[in-house]
Amino acid sequence: MMNGRKAQGPRPGQTFDREPARRVFAGELREVRLQFREGEDEKSPSFVLLPTGARCNRIFLVGTLTEKDRRGDQNVFYHARISDPTGTFFLMAGSYQPEAMQQIARIDPPAFVAVIGKPNLFESQTGSLLVSVRAESVTAVDREIRDLWVLDAARATLDRIDGMGTTEDSKRAQDQYHTDPAVYRKMVYDALAQLKI
Amino acid sequence: MEVSDAVERISGRMEAKGIAVDRSKIESKIRRLVEEFGVQLAEAERTVWNEMAREHSLPSPGARAQEREIQGLTAGEWVTVQGKVVALTSPPTPAIAQAGILADPTGAIRFTVWARAKAQSLSAGTWYRIESAVVDEFRGVEKLNIHSGTVITEVENEAPLIPKIIPIRELRPGVGSVRVKVVQEWEPSHERMLQTGLLGDETGTIKFTIWRDDGKEKLTPGKVYSVYYALVDEFNGRLQLNLTSAMYLPEEGDIRVSEGEASRGVIVHLAPGSGLIKRCPVEGCNRVLSRQNYCPVHEIQKTFRYDLRIKGVLDDGIRTRNILVQKDLVEALSGMKLEEAVALAESSPLGMDEVFYRIRDAVLGRYFQVRGSEMDGRILVKECQRIAFDPADLAALLNRAGGEAK
Repeated sequence: MMNGRKAQGPRPGQTFDREPARRVFAGELREVRLQFREGEDEKSPSFVLLPTGARCNRIFLVGTLTEKDRRGDQNVFYHARISDPTGTFFLMAGSYQPEAMQQIARIDPPAFVAVIGKPNLFESQTGSLLVSVRAESVTAVDREIRDLWVLDAARATLDRIDGMGTTEDSKRAQDQYHTDPAVYRKMVYDALAQLKI
Repeated sequence: MEVSDAVERISGRMEAKGIAVDRSKIESKIRRLVEEFGVQLAEAERTVWNEMAREHSLPSPGARAQEREIQGLTAGEWVTVQGKVVALTSPPTPAIAQAGILADPTGAIRFTVWARAKAQSLSAGTWYRIESAVVDEFRGVEKLNIHSGTVITEVENEAPLIPKIIPIRELRPGVGSVRVKVVQEWEPSHERMLQTGLLGDETGTIKFTIWRDDGKEKLTPGKVYSVYYALVDEFNGRLQLNLTSAMYLPEEGDIRVSEGEASRGVIVHLAPGSGLIKRCPVEGCNRVLSRQNYCPVHEIQKTFRYDLRIKGVLDDGIRTRNILVQKDLVEALSGMKLEEAVALAESSPLGMDEVFYRIRDAVLGRYFQVRGSEMDGRILVKECQRIAFDPADLAALLNRAGGEAK
């Protein structure tokens, strides 16, 4: 199960490297079905495997905050929906993310937001698997940043598609998802086509 | 250096020995090595020369009489060279009678005259023919050793010797000549040190040191100099220039010093210690004080100096890099001057945290391109720009995504 770790995981004996925030469209993140932990330690990072073949522990996304929902009495937490040109991200911020929670509290939808957070796979009450993003930080941004992010996410997705079959993680992703690159290429194209030249 | 020069040199030397040569054949041999095999021109010239020398049974280098160019000497060779003593340095041990730098038009090399060699004393500024010296390597630097079997003869040579100026990025341990601007001057760390700091050109920056010596003068910060025959040493994996025995002449003009490679990405994290900070007022300390105004060295301080900075993480989706941004750029990025930040901290119930939040909201999640020198895994940012949306990028990506799907 855990043998594809050589490719990008942190190497023992090295100083701590912060996990980069992957750029991924909602349309791809929604398809994630595999989450795994690197190493035995309870502090070792947890990753989800993207269908285009990269592990990610953290993501960066920019989209439109369309809804936010404050829940709980003692343990307040926020649910929020953020849409990009390909779908919707489900955001969570609870008392373990006080900074993100305070930031969400001050932003009124609809608004463009930039989010840094960690993807999580969980099972809903109906038994289906859902991916949510536990926010580390949420800041209000303008349309230009959103457009820059669409370019950035498009480039990163195309890079991953082009690298399919060349890394351990991408081979594993193909076993898991039987990914059809044309589907994701089209998703990227459609996302870009929504931007104004 | 051009291929045609190399062809001329070989042909000239051959013809001087009474051998007729075919220039186009020499040129094609050199071009083949350089263009097809990626050999450096100097090495190609040497190879072709050796090949032709063998062909015409000329004495091969290393054997008597064949003079070698200083550039391209490698450890383990017995060589004869002709060069000018361009610098003498003080020998580190009594076992060494003299040490210095010998140069010819192709380059320069450090030399050592061993005391046991009982050789004649060399004087700076004079040309010598040095026969049967041994090249060896000491701490990664090639060095010419003059031993008891070496024959030294003074020669007449009035030709001016023009050192080859090379970019900082191409310096290697040994000897180097550069045209540089004095970027920074640092506090000397030793009483024997006259001056230390940072030199830069269009390709990079390098630390320099001048040790106290008779008649040595300091460099003026901000001025441009030609530095001839400085010692290039490697220390902890980094190169530095020792100018003590070098010649340096002030020059006209200015140099746009390279600020390092550009990195692009998103600021994804602002570390504690960003925003408004207080610094220790003790002369030369400048350390950041804790909330209780405690300096790790000078303990509790009654006064302090306010400053703005960002300690953050720039992330391009593949790797993350730590960045440190100083006051002027923080002011430009956040649109808040230091005085405004101080006023805000003094009036807000959140105090200095309020400044942190303002700066965070202004920079987090935004795309930037930064330049600066890297130190201990952190980019010290000198230039920082917001990246703007470029329709050309969109068009290129549309082509890339649509190329196979349509």
